Amino acid sequence: MKLHCFERTFFHSSSSLTPIQLPSPMETHLWYVKPSEVKSGSLLNQYLDILPPCERENVLQMRGEELRKSALLARALVRTTIARYQINSHSNPRSLKFRKNLHGKPEVQWQFRDDQHPPPLHFNISHTTSLVACGVTTNAQIGIDVEEKHRSIKHNILSFARRYFSKHEVQFLAAISDPQVQRMEFIKLWTLKEAYVKALGKGFSGAPFKTFTIRFKGVMEGGFITLEDLSPKASEIVVDSFDDPADLTSNWQFSLLELANSHYAAICTEKHGAGSGKRNAPGKLTVWKTVPFLEDECVSGTAAVKIICGVQ
Amino acid sequence: MAAVSATCIRFGTSVELPVRANNQIIGKSSSLVSFGWGKTGGFPCIRTSRLQICAAKPETVEKVSDIVRKQLALSPETQLTPQTKFTELGADSLDTVEIVMGLEEEFDISVEEENSENITTIQEAADLIDKLVDKKA
Repeated sequence: MKLHCFERTFFHSSSSLTPIQLPSPMETHLWYVKPSEVKSGSLLNQYLDILPPCERENVLQMRGEELRKSALLARALVRTTIARYQINSHSNPRSLKFRKNLHGKPEVQWQFRDDQHPPPLHFNISHTTSLVACGVTTNAQIGIDVEEKHRSIKHNILSFARRYFSKHEVQFLAAISDPQVQRMEFIKLWTLKEAYVKALGKGFSGAPFKTFTIRFKGVMEGGFITLEDLSPKASEIVVDSFDDPADLTSNWQFSLLELANSHYAAICTEKHGAGSGKRNAPGKLTVWKTVPFLEDECVSGTAAVKIICGVQ
Repeated sequence: MAAVSATCIRFGTSVELPVRANNQIIGKSSSLVSFGWGKTGGFPCIRTSRLQICAAKPETVEKVSDIVRKQLALSPETQLTPQTKFTELGADSLDTVEIVMGLEEEFDISVEEENSENITTIQEAADLIDKLVDKKA
């Protein structure tokens, strides 16, 4: 399926991407696209154009325009985002190669003569039909998940939680009497759990949801508190795993945000130099809203990014 | 840059993936193979006289498709084949987990986490269900 790129001569793929420095070790970059804001047919053709045939095929196999568009934007976002960091002077999104690790987690296949020292860039993407996001870190595993705030859950929340979540999490949700609030807390918890599993990179069965608890450690220890009770500075999100010893799970830090008033986004990253008992300063997060090749807008600190918990 | 209207984002003609007849698992020395083609929304199915290598029962495949349709709120025009991947239909991980839960409720089975990762198509779901249901019997 060859598409007509009649406006191609007006765009130079690599020079339309604003180059940027890799995040520092304690920093995370988050880039997102809203498919509804990408309307230009020629721009979408450009995105298709930077994909290799197999990725193009995957995009076109999606059933329906909306799904094809968000699948395309996901691939375009990941390629253009990584290209911005100009690793080893490579700035062409088309030339990036990807592969999956043993458990299916996508990673960049860096092209080197010397394969011993791959660049320290890590990424993870998540997408819904209404928002596509890509997180980037340096020297730290990362997992992200985005969900629509108003996503409907077909099953009864507590039945679902009893089947898939840990006992502590079920109790947390069961204590919420308002069904709307309960649903939203459920979605937040889901995104956090997904982000953790994706950061681990072991696949859904590598860290079954029932085997770990995500909870909110607030100023008041003990008792059940909803996220409304927490102020971002006073609390952190922690994970307890039944399988791993406690010190391994303290290697992970979480952030939970509301993006563009429409989505919850959870980010889980590896912490380095975690001293026992020492509470690390929360990492820095910078968020850009982008339409690749067209415009980027740093939205950190604006209404588009509401930090629920975890970062400064 | 000239404004391009929203209709330009159509990716050419819609892609209809052909249903390949040889997708079903056929036993090496199956003696009787028959194809049945249902009406629109039905499925090609193969019955072999060898029980051990057998595609799932058509009723199972049908029930799985119904559950998938409901979970993903698909339009009636959306064609489903046994080979259709959930991801092609826009299912994310939460949808897949809800689908698995729906299947567990419908068939009164329990799907282990390792297995739920392997359920990526309607056929795979149906095969696993029949296997688990048979084990129970």
